[in-house]
Order: sequence, then C-alpha cells, then structure tokens
Amino acid sequence: MRLDLERRAAQPPHLYVSVPLVAVGAALAFGALFLWANGFDPVLIYVEMARASFATRYGIEDSLISATPLIFTGLAAAMAFRFRLYNVGAEGQLIAGAICCAGVALAIGEALPGALGVAVILAAGLVGGAVWAAVPAVARARFGTSEIITTLLLNYVAVLLARYLIFGSKSMWRDPLATNFPQGRALPRMSGLPELGGTQIHLGLLIGIACALLMFALVRWTRPGFDARVFGDSPAAARYAGINVAGVVLCLLLLSGGIAGLAGASEVSGRAHRLDPAGLAVGFGYTGIIVAALARYHPLGVVPIAIFVGALSNAGTTLQSLPGGAVPSAIGTVLQGAILICVLASEIHVTYRLRWRPAALLSQ
Amino acid sequence: MNEGVLVVTLAAAVAAGTPLVLAGLGELLTERVGVVNLGVEGMMLLGAVSAFLVAQATSSVTAGMFGGMGAAALLAFVHAFLSVTMRANQIVSGLALVIFGSGIAIFLGRPIEGQPLAVHLGQLQIPLLAEIPLAGRVLFGQDIVVYVSWLLVLAAVVYLRYTKAGLWARAVGESPATADVMGVRVTAIQYGHTIVGGLLAGASGAYLILARVPNWSQASTTSGLGWIAVALVVFASWRPGRLLLGAYLFGAALRANFALQAAGMHGVPAEALAMLPYLLTITVMIVLSMRNTRQRLGAPAALGTAYIRSER
Repeated sequence: MRLDLERRAAQPPHLYVSVPLVAVGAALAFGALFLWANGFDPVLIYVEMARASFATRYGIEDSLISATPLIFTGLAAAMAFRFRLYNVGAEGQLIAGAICCAGVALAIGEALPGALGVAVILAAGLVGGAVWAAVPAVARARFGTSEIITTLLLNYVAVLLARYLIFGSKSMWRDPLATNFPQGRALPRMSGLPELGGTQIHLGLLIGIACALLMFALVRWTRPGFDARVFGDSPAAARYAGINVAGVVLCLLLLSGGIAGLAGASEVSGRAHRLDPAGLAVGFGYTGIIVAALARYHPLGVVPIAIFVGALSNAGTTLQSLPGGAVPSAIGTVLQGAILICVLASEIHVTYRLRWRPAALLSQ
Repeated sequence: MNEGVLVVTLAAAVAAGTPLVLAGLGELLTERVGVVNLGVEGMMLLGAVSAFLVAQATSSVTAGMFGGMGAAALLAFVHAFLSVTMRANQIVSGLALVIFGSGIAIFLGRPIEGQPLAVHLGQLQIPLLAEIPLAGRVLFGQDIVVYVSWLLVLAAVVYLRYTKAGLWARAVGESPATADVMGVRVTAIQYGHTIVGGLLAGASGAYLILARVPNWSQASTTSGLGWIAVALVVFASWRPGRLLLGAYLFGAALRANFALQAAGMHGVPAEALAMLPYLLTITVMIVLSMRNTRQRLGAPAALGTAYIRSER
C-alpha cells in the first residue's frame, strides 16, 4: 500500500468550508483526549470555555479585548507570510512599539490635545515596530539573509530591553514611586484610547478592523499591492517583469513590523496604560501567526479568526480559576496549536485527492 | 586570567554548547533530506518537561533522557506527517510545532514549575585522558552526554559521507525526483531523518534539565536555544564537524556573561549581557549571507520544498 496524490480536476466550493471545519473538530477532539488523559472532564471544560468567552456580556467583552492585539499581530503575519516572507518577530516588534508609544506618551504628557496626542503616540508605536524589523528587513532585501531567524531572535532581545527599562534601570518608563515592586510609570490620561460605550473595549479594536480593510485595499487595488502579489507568487517572475524586488521585500517587512508595533501601542494606550513587560510578552506575536494561517493570510479573514482565537485564549485564562480544580491556562495554547496542525494537515484535501494504491499495481 | 579560570571557562563553554550540538545535529540531519523543521524550540521544551516528569517518577536519569527523546520524537513525527505526507508549508508547520509543543510543555510543567529535580547526571572523568594538562581537563572532565555527542557527530560524518544510506539521504535532499527514479524511498528517508532530528532535540532538552539546570521553568529552560541551533546549521554549512565547533563557539558566547561578571564588569547591565548570544547569532547570519556563495553551495537544493511524485 502507498499513498498517492491526485490533483482534483475541479475544486467544489463546499470544500473550503467543510475541510477547515473537520480540521477544527479534529483538534477539539484531540484536546478532549488530552484533557481526559490528564484527569480533567473535557465536556465540563469545553462548556465552561464556551460560557466564559461567548455566553456572558463580560465574556464577550473580554474576548474582544483579547482579540484586539491579535487582529494587529495576525495582520502583521498575514502581510508577510502571504508573500512568503516569514516575519516571526511580531512579538519583539510589538514590544518595541509599546516602548516607543509609552516613551512618546510620557514625553509629550498633556501638551497635545486628545485626538492629536493619540494619533502621535500610535504613530510612535508604528515606527517602533518598523524600526525593530528594520535590520532583518534590510538584511533580507540587500543580502538575502533568511528573515526567519533574525526576526525571531530579536524577540528575545526586545523582551530583555523592556525588562531592563522597568527592572534594571531608573529609566523614564519606570514608576519612580514603586521602589519595592518595580512597574511602569502610568501614562498621562490624555494618551489613553477611548473606551467604547461604557465597556472595557477600547478604540484599538476599531483601529485594528480599519487596518484590516486598509491592507485588503492595498493588496487588492494598488500598484504596490500588485507588485507584492507578483513577488509572492513568483519572485523570479517579479524580477523579469522589472519589479523592484528588494524594495518590495523591504516595504513588506517594514509594514509587517509596523503593524505589529501598532499592536503594542494599542495594548499600552488602550489596556495597560503603562509599559508592562510581563503583560506584553505573553505570545501575541506567535498567536498572530496562528490567526494569519487560519485566515489563509487574508487580511479580512484575520478579524473573525482573531476574535475566535482571542476567545480561546481568554477562556484558557478563566479556566485557571475554575472551582473544581484549576486547569492550566496553557490549554488555550495547546488547542490553538492543535487547530493549526489539523488545519495544515487538511489544506491539501482542497486541491488534491488522497488515494491509497495497492502495492501490487506499482510493481508492474 | 590564570590557568584555573581558563579551564573552568572553556569547560563551561563545552558544557553550554552541548545542547546546541545535540539539537543542531538533529536539525542538520533533518535539513540534509530537504525538510526544514523550525520546531526545535518546541521539541526541546517538550523533551525537557518529559525528561523531568519521567526522571522524577522513576528516579532514573537514563529513563528521563529516553522519556524526553520519545516525547520530542512524537512531535517530529507530526512535522514529518504535515510536511512530507500532507505537503503543508514547512515553515508554518515548524512554527505550529513550537506553539503546540510549548503549550503542552507548559501545561504538563505547571505542577512542577520551580521544583528541583532530585536526580542529576553526574560528571564522568575519563581516566588517563583527563590528566592531560589543559585540554584534558577541559574536554574529559565532562558528563557522558558530552562524550556521546562527539560519537554522534562522528557517526553523522561517516554516515553522510561514506555510507550508501547517507548517499541516498543526501540525494533526497538535493533532488527527491532523481532519488525517487533511482529507487530510493524518499518518504521513508524523510520521515526517518525528521524523527531522528526529534530524538536529538528531545535529548538536548532533556540534557538541559538532567545535567544543567535541574528545575523546569517555562521562561528560562531553553530561552531560544532551539532557534540558535537552527541558525547554527546554516553557520556550519550543513556539515556536522563544523557544527561541533560552532556549537562550542556559541557555548562560549552563552557563558560570556558569567565570565564577564566574574572579571568585574559591573558597569554593564545584566540584560545587555544576556542579549549577547542573540545579537551574535543575528550578526553571524547576516555576515554569512553577505558572502553568500559558499553558504548557498552548502544548502541542500530541495530544502523546504514538498515533493509530489505525480508532478515531478
């Protein structure tokens, strides 16, 4: 027996829905088995997770708050991975964006009127993320250095930098009054993103959705977007067509870094209101890759997927305080990883048919 | 620096480089058959946590080592299934492995976070050889895993260069279609190498827990070593011998912060010293690609691409 692949003559549209659904189902089944093997009741936990993220007003609120940074990091990954540029440094770019955003907010204080001040600090976050991506971007564009390892290792550097600013030095980011337990200095009130309609959900969510629309339009309807698509499908074809390939690579990686930086700015000015190294380095960057992959690197797909994945992370956190024995919150990460693996395993079924061939036929 | 400090520093560099030798060799063998597995960090984390749990339950370091290897090999199998059989994007599949593996490791490690492990892998002085003045004390006063890692590197050199199976494996990495026509079982070889890569990454994670720092911490047990191992393979231009040297070089960089602190560099913040290995790796990657011809020659031609027989 051996497995053969046969390209489907036509791809029935229902496969685009049914295949991912089966994949997510398989991942949830794996998660149930994993929980059961570790002595937990999977049914109880899944019901609790669904209740915690979607059934109550606070649950929905928390899910959307968790989804906000994921929209940005998901977009950051989508705008790179879609064109086969693997920026896996969103985690570090997010932190760099947060540092810049908090720094500028503390520096300008109450000097600028509300809307302008907010625009300036968001721009600072964007620039911070792009700067953090700049070295890998230039190295990739100029020398062809694989961006995977360079962007990834800079994540560790960014975490250490943020830790240094708060715990290792008396920088402007650190709260001078908190001596026993160091923490970030609170940002001026003016620089906070407004919250929406009496909830904790902040403007970052809408900015994220606007970014998604913008990225969709950019890729779909503009000349640079067209160049990028040609490059993504075939770098050689792009070169022959006279497209400035190095420029496309540079722009895409800087854009991707900038969007990840916005995630940091949105977290700092919308949720934490200070530079908080522990709250930032919780894997938004890596989760963004999952979001982008599940959305098939489509900017508009990122938004609903980010909300789903955000709900999953959020549910994982609430499970820690479950009365009948705490479930480690990492179950959220386990499920996200399992879903990604199952979706990766399933994608081939859309374009190919898998056939088992008896060995006898082959030996003829 | 007197001789005592020098011996301690160099011996520490060898010990710190050993996890990189193991994980790097695993990734090298995987990449030589055309499969990129970026999941090294995830496999190491799962290997470390499994080694802790098994060693704690059995009070045996050996059992812990094999437990860690087995768990990581299961993850590597998932990668082989995704990238070889299901032709998924190998980069994304590797990243999925990191997320999934670290998720499971953190989940399983939750009850043991911060707990010390009772059993520990001791040193094994090699009689006679350890008496050699400088080199003997640096190289032969280590633990058994260090010596085994040398044998593994030697075995990999012999296997890749002098055996028929090694030739087949290299053929698969350069041109799977050609190898297939020659009757080489492409899929089987790719699975085999990827799983061996997992075994070695697991051994690397297990070694961290069993011999280096005997308590599990989700944040600091591997802290990016798996990624440095991936970079090391490029640094070594896919050759096991160079990988060994490179690993010790990086091991020295990893230990540099301790040495610098000992040498009295109090003005430099600890965080800056901790950044050194990452910044060094990034610099090395960029400099290597500036002189890109040699590096390109070293990389297996079919690296990272899926092979579909019906479309060759």
